[in-house]
Amino acid sequence: MAGKSGRSINNVPESPMKQILFSWEGILVIVLVLVNVFCVWFSEYYNTFNLLRQMPVYLAEVFLMLPMAFILVLGEIDISVGSIVCLSATAACIVCNTGAPFVAVILAAIAVGTVCGAVNGCILTRFPELPPMIVTLATQIIFRGIAEIVLGSGGSISANNTDGFRAISGKVGSVPYILFLVLILAVIAAVILGKSTFGRRVYAIGTNRLTAYYSGIHVQKIRFIIYTVMGSISGLCALFLVASSYGANTTTGNGFEMDAIAMAVFGGISSTGGKGNIAGGLISAFIIVCLRVGLGQRNVHAQVILLIVGLLLIGAVALPNIVGQIQRAVKMKK
Amino acid sequence: MNKKLVSALLCGTMVLSASAAMVSAEGEKIALVGKSAGNAFFEIAADSFVEAAEAEGATVDVVYPEAATADAQIKVLDNLISQQPDAICISANDVNALQAKLEEAMDAGIKVSSFDSAPNADSRQIFVNQAGTVAVGQALIDAVYDIAGGEGQWAVLSATSQAANQNAWIDAMKTIMEGDEKYANLELVEVAYGDDEPQKSTDQTAALLDKYPDLKVICAPTTVGIAAAAKYLQDNGSACKLTGLGLPSEMLEYTGADDEHSCPYFYLWDMQGLGKLSAYATLALVKGDITGALDETFTAGDLGEYTITEADDKGTEIVLGLPLEFNSDNIEEMAKLY
Amino acid sequence: MQKKSLIKKITGSREALLAIILIILFALITAVSPSFLTPKSLMDMLKNNAVTLVMALGMLCVMLVGGIDISIMSTLALSGMSIGMLLKYGVISGTVTAFLIAMIIGLVCGALVGLVISRANVPPIIATMGFMYVFRAMGYLVSNGGEWASAAALGSFKNFATSKLLGLNCVIWVIIACYVIFFFFMKWTRTGRKIYAVGSNSNAAEVSGINVKNIKLMVYMIMGFLAGLGGALQVSIYASAMPDMQQGGEMDVIAACVIGGVSMSGGRGSVIGALLGALVLATIAKALPLIPFFDQLWLNTIKGVIILVVVVVNVILQRVTDKNTLKGREM
Repeated sequence: MAGKSGRSINNVPESPMKQILFSWEGILVIVLVLVNVFCVWFSEYYNTFNLLRQMPVYLAEVFLMLPMAFILVLGEIDISVGSIVCLSATAACIVCNTGAPFVAVILAAIAVGTVCGAVNGCILTRFPELPPMIVTLATQIIFRGIAEIVLGSGGSISANNTDGFRAISGKVGSVPYILFLVLILAVIAAVILGKSTFGRRVYAIGTNRLTAYYSGIHVQKIRFIIYTVMGSISGLCALFLVASSYGANTTTGNGFEMDAIAMAVFGGISSTGGKGNIAGGLISAFIIVCLRVGLGQRNVHAQVILLIVGLLLIGAVALPNIVGQIQRAVKMKK
Repeated sequence: MNKKLVSALLCGTMVLSASAAMVSAEGEKIALVGKSAGNAFFEIAADSFVEAAEAEGATVDVVYPEAATADAQIKVLDNLISQQPDAICISANDVNALQAKLEEAMDAGIKVSSFDSAPNADSRQIFVNQAGTVAVGQALIDAVYDIAGGEGQWAVLSATSQAANQNAWIDAMKTIMEGDEKYANLELVEVAYGDDEPQKSTDQTAALLDKYPDLKVICAPTTVGIAAAAKYLQDNGSACKLTGLGLPSEMLEYTGADDEHSCPYFYLWDMQGLGKLSAYATLALVKGDITGALDETFTAGDLGEYTITEADDKGTEIVLGLPLEFNSDNIEEMAKLY
Repeated sequence: MQKKSLIKKITGSREALLAIILIILFALITAVSPSFLTPKSLMDMLKNNAVTLVMALGMLCVMLVGGIDISIMSTLALSGMSIGMLLKYGVISGTVTAFLIAMIIGLVCGALVGLVISRANVPPIIATMGFMYVFRAMGYLVSNGGEWASAAALGSFKNFATSKLLGLNCVIWVIIACYVIFFFFMKWTRTGRKIYAVGSNSNAAEVSGINVKNIKLMVYMIMGFLAGLGGALQVSIYASAMPDMQQGGEMDVIAACVIGGVSMSGGRGSVIGALLGALVLATIAKALPLIPFFDQLWLNTIKGVIILVVVVVNVILQRVTDKNTLKGREM
């Protein structure tokens, strides 16, 4: 997928030279390689084995990046996903502790996530005037609030029967299942967004909602589907998160929405809608994961790591724009 | 501080220089994991932990998660397992959520001790308890009894409804109150939660005073809550008094036996002692002097000999001692320490 | 005829609708807990929500040009922590100096954000998300790895929040001053109207000779300035500076604006709206602990539901009034 530039309807024509050299995914691949070289130099513990062992916790967040990419391409945002993860994880633990088979646990987590997502979708499509940010802010508080009520005093639950969770956190050789699952889901998401009619419509809505509406696209239906799927995937994320902790608490999933958005945006998916693709998001997700693992292994202060991620985020979006401006200025002079 | 500011701006350089300053560790390598960065309370214990451990020839890395959540601590633990230190000493953000990672660490041959806030019994070898839960409860309820004059309404202002430590102390207070005729005239009207945010704690304090005009004492077993409540009560010249658990340096302005101050006295444990004892206990685990089983004993430097006892959660713990009282006599001096 | 147009005027304005919601809220709470509607309780409420109230003004400007700023509470922490440490180590001692330094730090932070957004065309949510991490991390580094500046260390600075002027707390005077200034600024100054112009249609604004980039830079500088002021207020009100102050509080400020009818796509919103929105949130925060009916565990859920209900009711009322105006035209 790398090298394919973002499908964008109002694409400004670019020179072929620039398309090859400055394709965002191309740059990202180079950055990914550089980050890995840096990490190997920086941390003596940075090797394939440790990377694969540490990755699952981060990969749970990469799940969220996939549907978040769709939402961002729509030109919208969902900041309630962290809370959905929290509520789904709580549900998974509760169902698990009733002694139900593990399939029921999986279903419960995904069902709760889907319902939460559908609630978001329902409110947003019923009242399309409402900004998604404020609606998902309210549901963010509500979903986590419900988890707080369910968890009650103590605010923490542990799964009594961890067999199922141990099973899904298993590995083939030293490669964890979750990595395969992330890659498979990423391919599916990439095909839907990049190749299908549905994907085209999502770009159309993100580029110009009114035009999309008048050209016969069921804007609200598509939005509803995407928000609901966002919820389902959050349930999946919750499942793997519980697999790394055997429990849930009121802070589970706190801040995941920001991590998911950061991965997507760093990958060239514009928050203003209509631009970007899954490949970019996925590569950038791995860049961020590798960097955080590498820096973390040498106990770099957590706030410094966040500072670096913050600067990367700004730089990733600002630099291409600045380069573009300089190029234009140079052309004007000529 | 200026140095810090500069390094903030040149953080990239800082990261690089950190790697240059890498020293291969001799002796025991210990990782100390905090609840979150920027916690003055933890900082004091961490400093004396490092001091005590380094005096014994060990090296200590103090590591903070990016946020005060179990999720963030899981990432930190993952990093630490990669580094294979001899021991991890952790103050847990959640009782249950770290079990998977801490078990993984123990399986990898890393000793796991904890202090300040314990993960569940399955995920640790030993817990260094700052003060027995019952002892803290007893001290607080006696303070309430004393300040209220033996009778009247009182309320609790806690952190969050999920805070394990706080809940344990509040439950201990309730149990002691029910079990003893002495406290029959005390009426616990409400347990309010300020989420350890100054703003919310202030709202909650104001609401308590509004709802119960005859309220005599508020007991706040949390550092942020007690400071916020102390400020509100003092600014408003309220007749209601305050006690609880707090940091002397935060409470300096509010502590005094006269009407001008809102808090006659309050408690905390010996934070430096806690750090020190945790360091010795962790080293004892690494050296094999103790395994974390019941009734084992070990010598913690100049702190003397300690015996491992059973904790409330059926795991094992070492209890540091009794909570310390801070009043107008000693607060000036203690505020310089922490 | 006169009467009808008055009713129309009231139901036609979002602010009036919100004011009605606020009055209903007040009435309900007072019915449950009479002590709510006393001057002291209201003053407490204003003082305790001063940070949100003041910063809602900056967010109003940012949202008017179609932007958003989620870095503000990190700016607040950085500026608040900086003056906290300066006061603690005796580098500065004056209240005015501390306020000035906090506001300058805020202004610089805001200018950085504004430059990245206006000059490098970074979408506001992304730029401010990045700066949210950056400024918060700098706040931690300034705190020397987790020191707090407590009441005793703050000297006379904290007295600002307890002293009174003409019977009103100084903090409340600051709020009033900010709102009065902004009311005039937004309504009657050239620059204020330019902000609206950029937000309604930035292309049209550009063509009519407004420097859109500078206006965007300016609103983020205003926001940063107010965040710096918020930092000084926060430290003064709670007599304590911690590097994790107000984490997540930016959402309250944004919610206040949106509840107050400020459009997230820009161009629509007023100072009165921001004030009412912030007051609704302040009222909820103040009133929830007063109401004895439910368990404390329910507080957050109820807060979320109220925000949602207020926003949805606002939309429904708006739809009804829009329909009515259309009907009126047909007839």
